[in-house]
Amino acid sequence: MSENTEFVKTEQLLKTKKRSQIVDVWRRLRRSNTAVIGLILIFIFLCMAIFAPVIANYEDDALKMNVRERLQSPGIGHWFGTDELGRDIFARIVYGTRISLFVGIISVSIALTLGGTLGAIAGYYGGRIDNIIMRVLDVLLAIPTILLAITIVAALGASILNLMIAVGVSNIPGFARVVRAAVLSVKDQEFIEAAKAIGARDHTIILKHVLPNSMAPIIVFATLKVATAIMATASLSFIGLGIQPPTPEWGSMLAGGRAYIRDNMYIVLYPGLAIVLTVLSLNLIGDGLRDALDPKLK
Amino acid sequence: MNNKVLAIHNLKVRYLTEDGSVEAVNGIDISVDKRKTLGLVGETGAGKTTTALSILRLIPDPPGEILSGNIELDGIDLMSITEKEMEKIRGDLVSMIFQDPMTALNPVINIGEQISEAISIHQHVTPDEAKKKAKEMLELVGIPGARWAEYPHQFSGGMKQRVIIAIALSCSPKLLIADEPTTALDVTIQAQVLELMKELKEKMDMSMLMITHDLGVVAEVCDDVAIMYAGRIIEQGSLKEIFKSTKHPYTEGLFNSVPNIDDRKSELKPIRGLMSDPYNLPVGCAFCDRCDYALEKCKTEKPEKIYFSETHFAECHLYKENIDFQLNSGKN
Repeated sequence: MSENTEFVKTEQLLKTKKRSQIVDVWRRLRRSNTAVIGLILIFIFLCMAIFAPVIANYEDDALKMNVRERLQSPGIGHWFGTDELGRDIFARIVYGTRISLFVGIISVSIALTLGGTLGAIAGYYGGRIDNIIMRVLDVLLAIPTILLAITIVAALGASILNLMIAVGVSNIPGFARVVRAAVLSVKDQEFIEAAKAIGARDHTIILKHVLPNSMAPIIVFATLKVATAIMATASLSFIGLGIQPPTPEWGSMLAGGRAYIRDNMYIVLYPGLAIVLTVLSLNLIGDGLRDALDPKLK
Repeated sequence: MNNKVLAIHNLKVRYLTEDGSVEAVNGIDISVDKRKTLGLVGETGAGKTTTALSILRLIPDPPGEILSGNIELDGIDLMSITEKEMEKIRGDLVSMIFQDPMTALNPVINIGEQISEAISIHQHVTPDEAKKKAKEMLELVGIPGARWAEYPHQFSGGMKQRVIIAIALSCSPKLLIADEPTTALDVTIQAQVLELMKELKEKMDMSMLMITHDLGVVAEVCDDVAIMYAGRIIEQGSLKEIFKSTKHPYTEGLFNSVPNIDDRKSELKPIRGLMSDPYNLPVGCAFCDRCDYALEKCKTEKPEKIYFSETHFAECHLYKENIDFQLNSGKN
């Protein structure tokens, strides 16, 4: 009997000890007020993106022109007012969230996959391979990100896919550098040698032992880069190289409304606010994660 | 015919750095018999770890470079096989226990997975079988199998070293290389870990290469002892020969550096000086600057091996003319 209770006790002890690292990081992230604000904001934006069809009708509210109701001030019928073609700004912002978040996340995924692979290979093998990869990426890095993206879109033509490729490719060098640095700091540790000593292959060592241990800076960098990618998307759309009208996109909404800024400033105010708030919230989360993932601050 | 699990002949390893070349291992011959333990003893920088890493062919290249020599492991010539074949041998025929258990485990993967990783690399088993085997290995080294899913930071140093032993033994290697396995542990845990290693060595029928600078550890677990200094084996023999009829002045110096608990008033007599600069090894005997018995020719001539029995030899000029020369703890 007593043996049995003893056993149950140990089991419980084991269970409480088995708190995973994610839970730990989450607890530390919650302690930072700014990060929580960022999380709440991004949660609202995510909900808007996911439940957009529930909030507004795409065809009727966001796309269809309605000249009789053009340039209305914010009010009961149109929370954020209507634009120069009588479309509901709130509905357009809600649908714009979808595009911004989607393009931001996908383009960062492209950059992370390609840049991360290149950086991991460069960092792990070092020597000549490292030199070749990093020098080629240095050339890419020498071209300003937005200029590179403009060139790519101009060459491929303006569409959502090309926009994501452009923003993604122009972010490759940054990711490669961050991943390479993280890999370098891990690869000389003894457990990597130990993994080699049990006969593990290079790719297993990179995927299983090196990368999981260098995740922290990569996660932080990726979060911050989603914010810049969203800005890049808006900028490209603003100059007409991104999402084409009439598809609602924050950048092109700014571009369309800037002629009316003197009398109807809400046309550009709300899309602008949406951009600022998403970027701000992602930056807050990124900073919070940086602190939460740093084991030295435990 | 072959009773040797490991045979190294004339191994030479050097590291090329910007400041010059470091001759880490200068032509050593050692062999480990089946079910025997060879102790490789020497001070920091003597080339012990380099020797161990060359058996696994894990010398970082560059800057490391194996100049010559051949290493035979269980009849396989390790110098002539490809990297792919070598990967199959590492962890399967030979595995290694590292010095510092705190850093030799991957902090983000639970220990069970780290043990089953070694198993699934070398044996064709399903993940479930590998997991089961991993639990058995944990029990074998005295850790409850229920702690399978825990992470390295949840274990103490001694427990981590047990986990590392479990990983190293998971594929029942023929040879286990233990690179100072107890250096990072405190004394009570040292005894436990050594006891465990001895016991498992018997149980699993392996040979062991024990790298250490602790003569107490040597006395505890080894059958044969090789004393290494500046990349050479300067004295080798069975445990009894080395401990009872010490021949080389350096070996004597090592024994004199161990506190004597029977005579508490006796003063420690450490070996004077430092190990010679590995960038610039002396022409003659590498130990002559620190040796109390040094002769004129020690400075200019490399000493040859002088055999005292079939197994026992020393590289020292003192015995060249007078094989019965007696060391006297430097009391002249």
